This record gives sequence, C-alpha cells and structure tokens, in this order.
Amino acid sequence: MIQLFGVSKRYGTFRDALADISFRVEPGEFVFLTGPSGAGKSTLLRLLFMEETPTAGQIIVNGRNIGVLPQGQIPYLRRTMGVVFQDFKLIARKTIFENIAFVQNVLGLARVEQKRRAYQVLKRVGLHHLMNAYPDELSGGEQQRVAIARAIVNEPTLLLADEPTGNLDPVLAEEIMRLFVEINIRGTTVVVATHDLEMIRRTGKRTLILERGRLHDPDRVRESAPLVREAPFLPLH
Amino acid sequence: MPRPRYVFGEAWSIARTSPRQTAAAITLIALALYVPGLLALVSHNLSRLAAEETEDPASVVLTLDPQTDARAIATRLQADHRIQLVRIVSSDAALARFRRAYPDLGAALSDLKEAPFPPSIEVVLKPGAARTVSREIAAGARVWPGIESAESEEEFSRRFRDAIHLVRDAGLFLGAVLTLAAVLSVASAVRLALDLHREEVGIMRLMGATESAIRAPFWLYATSEGLVGGGLALGLLYATYRFAAHWLSRDPHPVLAVLWVGFLALPTQLLLPAAGAAAGLIGSLLSLGRRETRRATRLA
Ligand SMILES: Nc1ncnc2c1ncn2[C@@H]1O[C@H](COP(=O)(O)OP(=O)(O)OP(=O)(O)O)[C@@H](O)[C@H]1O
Ligand SMILES: [Mg+2]
Repeated sequence: MIQLFGVSKRYGTFRDALADISFRVEPGEFVFLTGPSGAGKSTLLRLLFMEETPTAGQIIVNGRNIGVLPQGQIPYLRRTMGVVFQDFKLIARKTIFENIAFVQNVLGLARVEQKRRAYQVLKRVGLHHLMNAYPDELSGGEQQRVAIARAIVNEPTLLLADEPTGNLDPVLAEEIMRLFVEINIRGTTVVVATHDLEMIRRTGKRTLILERGRLHDPDRVRESAPLVREAPFLPLH
Repeated sequence: MPRPRYVFGEAWSIARTSPRQTAAAITLIALALYVPGLLALVSHNLSRLAAEETEDPASVVLTLDPQTDARAIATRLQADHRIQLVRIVSSDAALARFRRAYPDLGAALSDLKEAPFPPSIEVVLKPGAARTVSREIAAGARVWPGIESAESEEEFSRRFRDAIHLVRDAGLFLGAVLTLAAVLSVASAVRLALDLHREEVGIMRLMGATESAIRAPFWLYATSEGLVGGGLALGLLYATYRFAAHWLSRDPHPVLAVLWVGFLALPTQLLLPAAGAAAGLIGSLLSLGRRETRRATRLA
C-alpha cells in the first residue's frame, strides 16, 4: 500500500525534516508512527498525502509513484484517502454536515444520501446531534471527532491520522482507536501518528519510530522503546 | 466536472460572505455600462433620422408650394444630365416617413388638420458629380415658380452623419475604457474573495477538490456580478429614457425631442447584460489565472 525508498525532505536550507526514510506498509495493515515533537511525523504524512513533495527518494502509494503523478491526478488519488489533520482543517463557513459531505457535494451525490452517510458517520463518533452546528461552536475534542468523521465518510482505502486523539479524554481516545481498528478490519490501511505510547502499547500494532527525521531500525526500536516491544495485545471488546 | 448544484451553492456563499464587495463590484459594472449605453441610445435616435437617406442620399431638396405641379418641375430637373434621379415626396409621404422614423411623435401629429410637411422634391446626383453641383442646382431652381426653397443638403447631411459617428465613436471608446475598468474591478473583487477564502480553498484542495471545482464557483460568482451589473445598467438606462420622454412630452424641445424618441432595439439592450457577464468572466479569469493558489495550507 505504501512504499518509501530513501525519502528525504528538507524545508528551506536547514537540516532535513526527514532523512533517508525507507519502509513499507502492506495493504490492510495498521501502523503507528511515533517520536518526539519535531521528529517529522506530520512531514511524513504530508508527503504521503502529496501536500509536500520529497527532496529526494521515491514514494509509492496505492501502486502509484506519486513523484511522477500528473498534477491533475492528485485530487482523484486524495479522494481514495481519508486524512485527520493535526489542526483538523474544518471549513469555518460550513456546517458540520457540509464539511463532511464536501467531496460528495462536489461529485453531485444526492442530498438525501449525503445526509444519510454524514449522520451514520457522525453517530459513530457520537456527534450526530451536531449536524447543523458550525465548527466554532464545537469544543476542540468535538472538532477533532468531526475531522475523524470526515476522514472516514467516503470509506477510504488509506486512512492517515495525525494525532487524532490529541484533544480527547482517555475514554474518548479509546473509543476512537476502537473505531480505527474497526475500519482497519473492514480493509482500510491505517497510519496513525501519535505521541501516546500508552495507546500504542494497548493497541499492540506495528510501530515506526521517528527521531530527528530518521527512522529507528527495528532492532534499535526494541532497545530504545521497551514499551513497544512488550506491548501485550489487548482485545478491544 | 463539478456539479452545477455545488457550483451554484458555493458561488452564492462566496457572495454572501462579502456582500459589500459584491455590491461595489455590481455598482461599478452598472455605471461602467450605463454611460456607453446612454451614448448608444442617443446615437440610435440620431441615426434613425439619417436612416432614410442612407441609400440614395438626396443632394438637393426643393420645397414646393402645395399648389404647384410637382411633375412638371421633376421633368424640368430630369433634363439636367448631372442628375440621376428625382424623387417626389408628397406631404402625405413626408408625414408617413416621419411617422416611420418616430412612431411616438408621429402619433401626436395625426391630430393636425393641415398637412404639417409641405411637398418636396429630392434630387439625387449621378455618382462622381462635383461637390459644387448640388449648390449650383439649388441656386438655379430657387428662382423657378412654385419653389418655396431649395437647399443643398450636402453640407448638412455630411455634418449630421459626422455628428452621429462622433457620438457612436465616443460611446465605443468610453465603453471600451469603462468596460476595462469594470473588468479590473471584478478582478480585484474576485481576488479579495479569494483572499477571504484562501484557507478554505486550501482545505478543499486537500479534500480532493479539482482545480475546476475550486475555480468554477468564483467564475460563476464574477459572471453573475457582471450580469446583474449589466441588467442594472439597462434598467437605469430605461428609467432615464422614460423620464426624458415624460419630461419632453410636457415641455417639448425641438432638438432634444429627437434624441429621446425610441429606446434601444432588443439585441442592443441584451448587449448590456451580456457585456457585463463577459466583463465578469474575463475579470475572474484574470485574477484566478495569475494567482498560484496551490499549497495554501499545510498540516500543522
Ligand atoms: N513548513 C515548514 N517549514 C519549515 N520547517 C518545517 C515546516 N514544517 C515542519 N518543519 C520542520 O520540520 C521538522 C519536523 O516537523 P513535523 O511537523 O513533521 O514534526 P512532528 O513530528 O509532526 O511534530 P509534532 O509532534 O510536534 O507534531 C521540525 O523541525 C519543523 O520545525
Ligand atoms: Mg505533527
């Protein structure tokens, strides 16, 4: 599903935000991406999402080399992905429903169907009573859940989430992770960037660790992150 | 291609978020189109007056005593080898002609008892006749019995036509300048709207909106602004015309009356909103084309 070969990203002329990253994520896999603040997690997701282009290296997403993808094709590839942004990126001028149904609206899906899907997906994050509210009227945690609902509404083949539980209390965070696992079981490949080692431990999924723009190799991961190595698999039911 | 419903919805919400700029752009377009419209109206009315003469312009017009035998005079004129054609215009024909040119005023004249226009004879010269010929013929005929007056029309009609052309050219020039101003004002209104929506445009792009899905609402927004502005200009122009006609019907003025007799023909009327819409579209293409809106926002 995702392959990176020697990918580097440099903003401006200073040190690399990412340096020589190579890894592979299989279709249907669930992967955590962790590391200290500034390690390059968001940058890596931005590359996958084609919001930035790598300074060096090749990236293949969904079987397509996105470095040579024509500009005009990017929107169509993006529609196969769902993204939860670290800063949510909700459109302030639109209601929660309109935010969630945006792509469907562009595509001309019937209004009733848009409503049905938005309702269902909001129900899964517990916000179906807020369909007609505006983003400013919601708390940070609620906005985050709307962003999650928007990311999953079109049943993406790849879900990228940047700190999706950063603004949620532990109970809600747990629920959201369960939601991601459910989506993953239905076939969506999931990549979640997070600081929350406790959550990684409880979920027991494969974890990539970034530090100062470099990927820890798996052997060193065990040494430097015993939490991850010892993570017991907890069934989430 | 984005769906019409989406495009209309977005365009409407763009207009709603900046009502002041939208109103300003519409007003500017309306004014920009009103001025050339006004000149078009004047030149339209003037050229009706000239329309009768366009084919065989008469060089000499002899006004006759009503009792005179017009045919005898026509025969006498035809003997002159420099003359191509002699047209007898009876007073009824003159009235009919006037009515054709000015239907509104013509109706007012129908109540008159005596014929308002004397009979006349129009003389058309052969092509290539010297400029002085018409004056010579007029001078010669002036002394004949039964002739009230003989005018060489050459000078007058040339000046008249020049005046019409001047009004028309001024209209076209002003129209071009003001339409350019309208285009630029739409361009800046769109740029402003784009600035206001910069962040959300970035988000839309990240959501998988194509460039056309992002731009089409702005195109529609600007085109509608132009259309409404042009329509407004047309409405203003019609109001001006009605007002002038009303005012002149109470207090007729011999020269001004001729300028306010008829409104523009339908195709010319439709030109105003069409020009507005075109100005809007071009303005939005200008401002969207130049702007690199990509990568407006990024992940945190
Ligand atoms: N647009 C940018 N321009 C310049 N430098 C940037 C930009 N975005 C990120 N960086 C730099 O790249 C590095 C990695 O940033 P990134 O946002 O990927 O980190 P992160 O792992 O997501 O951090 P956090 O956990 O705080 O979200 C940082 O040193 C950051 O300062
Ligand atoms: Mg980040």
